[in-house]
Amino acid sequence: MIYDYTIKYRSENHYETPVFEAYWQFLVTPENNETQELISENITTSVNARIESSINGLGFNTSRIHCKKPFKDIIFEVTFKLTKKEINPFDFTPSLDNALDYKLLESLLFRVEFEAYLKQTKLTTLPNLPEELFLFDKRESVFQNCLNLTHWIFDYVTFTTGVTTTETTLNTIIQNKKGVCQDFTHLMCAIARRNKVPARYVSGYLHQGNGFFGDSQMHAWVELYIPKVGWVGFDCTNNLLANHNHIKVAHGKDYDDCPPLKGIVYSSGNNFTKYTVEVTHQQ
Amino acid sequence: MTKNTLNPIFSSYDKIQSLYDEIFDENSDVREVYKKLFELYSGLSIDDYGNLNEMAKASFFNQGITFQVYSDTKAQEKIFPFDLFPRIIDHDEWDTIEKGVLQRSKALNLFLHDVYHDKKIIKDGIVPIEMISSSSNYLQSMMDIDPPGGIYNHISGTDLIKHSDGKYYVLEDNIRCPSGVSYVMCNRGALKKALFGVFNHYDIHSVTDYAENLLEILESVKPHGVDVPTAVVITPGIYNSAYYEHSYLAKTIGIELVEGRDLFVENDFVYMKTILGSKRVDIIYRRIDDTFLDPLEFKQDSAIGVPGLFAAYKKGNVTIVNAPGTGVADDKAIYTYMPEIIRYYLGEEPILNNVHTYHCSKEDDLKYVLENVNELVVKPVDEAGGYGISIGNRLTKEEIETLKETIKKEPRKYIAQPIMSLSVHATYIEDTNSFEQRHVDLRTFTLLGNQKDFVLRGGLTRVALKKGNLIVNSSQGGGSKDTWILKK
Repeated sequence: MIYDYTIKYRSENHYETPVFEAYWQFLVTPENNETQELISENITTSVNARIESSINGLGFNTSRIHCKKPFKDIIFEVTFKLTKKEINPFDFTPSLDNALDYKLLESLLFRVEFEAYLKQTKLTTLPNLPEELFLFDKRESVFQNCLNLTHWIFDYVTFTTGVTTTETTLNTIIQNKKGVCQDFTHLMCAIARRNKVPARYVSGYLHQGNGFFGDSQMHAWVELYIPKVGWVGFDCTNNLLANHNHIKVAHGKDYDDCPPLKGIVYSSGNNFTKYTVEVTHQQ
Repeated sequence: MTKNTLNPIFSSYDKIQSLYDEIFDENSDVREVYKKLFELYSGLSIDDYGNLNEMAKASFFNQGITFQVYSDTKAQEKIFPFDLFPRIIDHDEWDTIEKGVLQRSKALNLFLHDVYHDKKIIKDGIVPIEMISSSSNYLQSMMDIDPPGGIYNHISGTDLIKHSDGKYYVLEDNIRCPSGVSYVMCNRGALKKALFGVFNHYDIHSVTDYAENLLEILESVKPHGVDVPTAVVITPGIYNSAYYEHSYLAKTIGIELVEGRDLFVENDFVYMKTILGSKRVDIIYRRIDDTFLDPLEFKQDSAIGVPGLFAAYKKGNVTIVNAPGTGVADDKAIYTYMPEIIRYYLGEEPILNNVHTYHCSKEDDLKYVLENVNELVVKPVDEAGGYGISIGNRLTKEEIETLKETIKKEPRKYIAQPIMSLSVHATYIEDTNSFEQRHVDLRTFTLLGNQKDFVLRGGLTRVALKKGNLIVNSSQGGGSKDTWILKK
């Protein structure tokens, strides 16, 4: 089945004192991949500035605004139309030889290949704990362990808004066991990497209206590299595998590689920002 | 110790036999290449020499050839102390150095290309994966980028010393933003003014051709599709310790000196703001660190970078010299694999020696280091400019214990090497108004371009001005000498 999605991303910024020069870089455009295709993209801003499309360091599409005239308010709005294929995340041949798969994870070639997604970053560093939070059971397949980890994270952390920021480290998250999608995702990345499974942080949109956690803003989930299968998306915030409800924008080692907005603003004083996301679809 | 009576200005020169003296051989005879210089100086008294020294110093001040030293409380503007007694290197000896540093630069370039593409050297088990995975200078965003001309380390500064065995050893390869070349050119200028008669008697390679060669190298790696490229030097600004050098280089190469705010990016092309409007920039010789280059890609609070620069680079619309991410190969831990790296990529034996290095990340080495700290130099792997170096035999017992604890906490951060005894060279010391032995090293400058390379026939001989001090960096109170390479 094919789903037609309309996604609206809107961000509003208000500055107390005029901004004389500013750059904004948005990383909000859905990528094209085998399950999704971007049909159109319509960007507007409230200020008189050119909108340029470019790429970030990992090659994902960005939209950049360079504003050279003073202003106090800026609205950025973008509407995407996209088609998404129905996917059955369980649609692959299960591996029959677990021992061989775990051996692959240990091999030098594999570790070199996925080096970027196996190392700890500032946001995915586990604190020193008396015992491991979650150890893979080698009798079961890598995929099954990843699924178990998804359930474990979902039970371990309680979805709570307003208690963490995008800079919150795992130390705090493990102490409070509360957070939002990026906290769930950082913890899952860290534990998967500790168990030698390459993990990347995915930023994207979630289909609204199904009562999912984290659907009112941009969402985050994990992609894990399963031997002989490839990258598979796991949404531990909602305790499921990524499917046709998940629209991917970009991935990276952690949140810092794919924040939706990076701004360089030459101004003083406070600023107020809010953003909203609307995701709707017709079948 | 023996007194030397050959020459009046050397009448109070104390020679320590255990050190390799660049001027006097083991019988206290003047080495062949210095003989002429000695004859010429024989008419001078030490006071005459002192006067010349004052004049040379004044000329540096007047030209504003200064650098800044950072300390905890304030920054200070200083002249780089200059010694009028030149260092002379014979052509045969230089030949080996020239071939050796070029070999290293080429091998490092191939290494960089490899770690940002197939990573074969790691897959083949020659260099451990930790060298990239735990290096903060390894940039994932450089993966699979092909820099114009295939060059990463366009400019390398290789530091060499001569050990007591009379052989040259490489101490480190600086391939981020090696500095010091402006002093090489200024030292030559100052010496020519102070000792104008001397140059008629020696046939020496010029150092002034560095600037024109650098320009050729820069233009050889212009982006695809550009006929006549525009190159600029980008500096962090006037408060940077090497600002004099940045402005000197821009001036001598004949290109603009810019700061981040003078450039902007539009549609992934880089432009410079000029009074005649904007002008496209094709090549950026950057003297700012990787993570400050582009606040949209790296450190968001960098006020000295250019927003959008990295995307322009990734799209091949501008060349950055040296390429971002070269720091991964300038790590002191990578240095220790240089012999293997040279053999792996070039199939040649290393021409220059490496100092044996103990990796505290390896268990056996760590054990050895902890047991023999007093006989080793311990260095952090990722600090430049001589910061954080501990020399074992200069430490008190408590200091040794503290150092051991520091190493144990983060073994990966430290390497250790035997204490090399740097060669010594006669150096005029103002306080005693006499010549004394001082330790020296040598920084060479190598350029790599598209189908072109160049080694500056000269270099920066750095002098540790404190008696017995082994650290020669300018930020640690070192001075420099003009360095003469004799023609065949």
